[in-house]
Amino acid sequence: MKPFVVLAVGLALPGLLPALAVARRSALVVFLAPVIGALMAAVAAAIELGLGGSLPRDYAGVAAAVNVAVIVWWVVSRRAASRAVPQRGTWTALAWSVLAVPVVIAALVIVPLRALGGPIFGWDANSIWTTHALMVYGGHHELLTGLQNAAYSFTNPDYPPLVPAAGALAFRFYGLADLHLAVDVTVLISACGLGVAGMGIAAVADALAAGRGASWPARVVAVAAAGAICVVGFAVSGIFAVEGYADLVWAAFAVGAVIWGLVLPTSPRALTVAWICAAAASLTKNEGLATALVIIVAIALRYRPLSLPGPMARRWAERAVFVVVPALPGVAWAGIIRLIGVHDAFFKSASAESPLTRATATIAGMAEHLHIAPLALAVTLAGSWFLRADRQRAGLGNPVWLWICWLGSLAIIFGTYLIGGLEIHGWLANSVNRVTIFAQVVLYTEIAVWMVIAAEAAFGRAIGSDDPEPPSVREHSPEVLDGPREPLPQ
Amino acid sequence: MSWRSGRVGKRIGATVVVVAAGVGLGLSVHHDVQFTANVTTAKYVAGANAMMQQEECIYDAIRLKVPKGATVYTTASRFPPSQRLAELSTLWAVPVANIADAQYRLTLVPPRGRSIVPFPLTKAAPDPAKGRCDGVTLKVHRL
Repeated sequence: MKPFVVLAVGLALPGLLPALAVARRSALVVFLAPVIGALMAAVAAAIELGLGGSLPRDYAGVAAAVNVAVIVWWVVSRRAASRAVPQRGTWTALAWSVLAVPVVIAALVIVPLRALGGPIFGWDANSIWTTHALMVYGGHHELLTGLQNAAYSFTNPDYPPLVPAAGALAFRFYGLADLHLAVDVTVLISACGLGVAGMGIAAVADALAAGRGASWPARVVAVAAAGAICVVGFAVSGIFAVEGYADLVWAAFAVGAVIWGLVLPTSPRALTVAWICAAAASLTKNEGLATALVIIVAIALRYRPLSLPGPMARRWAERAVFVVVPALPGVAWAGIIRLIGVHDAFFKSASAESPLTRATATIAGMAEHLHIAPLALAVTLAGSWFLRADRQRAGLGNPVWLWICWLGSLAIIFGTYLIGGLEIHGWLANSVNRVTIFAQVVLYTEIAVWMVIAAEAAFGRAIGSDDPEPPSVREHSPEVLDGPREPLPQ
Repeated sequence: MSWRSGRVGKRIGATVVVVAAGVGLGLSVHHDVQFTANVTTAKYVAGANAMMQQEECIYDAIRLKVPKGATVYTTASRFPPSQRLAELSTLWAVPVANIADAQYRLTLVPPRGRSIVPFPLTKAAPDPAKGRCDGVTLKVHRL
């Protein structure tokens, strides 16, 4: 019960108002509020390290500032909002999103979260995340001297603060008598991240509804897929998902960023959710930061395509804003950590192995954990062949975006193994199964999205009678496919 | 290809995608159901509880045997216990990398004839005041 109290009161409550502002008429708020809370706690930990203070004070400051900003934004935009009349489809979408929440929660509680019944404590959970959580709990001096202390170099002191901040918050609630509480909270944050991604998959049916009216079979499949993807996230992560490792946490956030930012139709809401998820991923682990940057750039290019006519300087300025805003928290942490003299342990020494040895071992190691890739590719190709027009009509993003992020993440991880200094075989044995979690879950997401589209085509209303001519190759390119369906931030 | 055959082909293709995707997702869900069943057995949970109890005992033992704020050098025959001791010292003692800077040396000692890794577990009652923690003993040496 304690971790749920921390999640609800410590993370979700401070994040509720911002989540309501972002999610609007969607039950997404249930999962988004704790994610926003965790993000704010991470920012507070960064402030604690860089400027001083303690987590409770800095967290209260960040949460107050964000909530006041949301209230001001609401007051300013109230007149415009009062004029907007909710459409019938909006309420249908709300009803289905409300239905998706208990399904997602049930999927999580019935299967993976049962593992919280025993105090499983992983090695990194002890040596990295709980140690950092204790430092964050101890305040500015403890955190600063702890991260700079050579005796703690085994904790990877440069790692971002989201998981430690949430753990420290849990300790503030219940004291230090039960260190495993930090592990439980970490697992619940993973579940919330997957919940955001799952609600994105459920929202695919909304997009189909906006296009031509999704039938109830497609809606049911979308809700089932939303629940399934949450369990799948835990499945591909294995023991690491339930013993306090942070790998599923960043992967879940990154998958949420992909589905909201690169799969669902472009809208201010989808963009904001994607940015929140990307920022959260970037503040969870170094791989999360690198992958989040790839996703953020892809989102910027999707929302501000290269081919749009207009003043070049303004377009590039807009793209820069689209990258800088969501990337700022993660990059700021990386900057602070280097300013205090802490560096990544993986690149401290040069490897004695040849690049070819490292490359072949890395490829073999990564391939062992990407068995889902052939199925995902086959589903993507079959979907693109049979259902391209349906996807386009719904305004869903080109699948190429998702695959670019998949490749980008793998390329960064491959490069890290290639130029890192640790002995490659031992390094791979200890980590490759964890650093490929995002690559696996995001492919399952692709499969789930195609399943929803296909369900509408297979079981929905009679198809073909109003099928337009197949779009040309040019029309299927991302910049045209992803044309805005709602007013976008200017 | 006629309009009707195109429509049928599309519906068949969509059904194939639904089935393939459903099988892929279903297998993964099934995998997690099996995995969760494995880590929720009474035996597994009892083992996790024993390890947690051992960790809490070491945590308490450090606080009982080392003065608050003391500098400590953590050592063991292999590095992982050293990490565990540094972690559990956090907020109480200050681990240092150089033994010359330390006031105390902390060592985890396994039972005779046993290795320290993996941490041995015995059914002995934990006694943090004496540093005895379910199979390992915390030794504190003043330097």
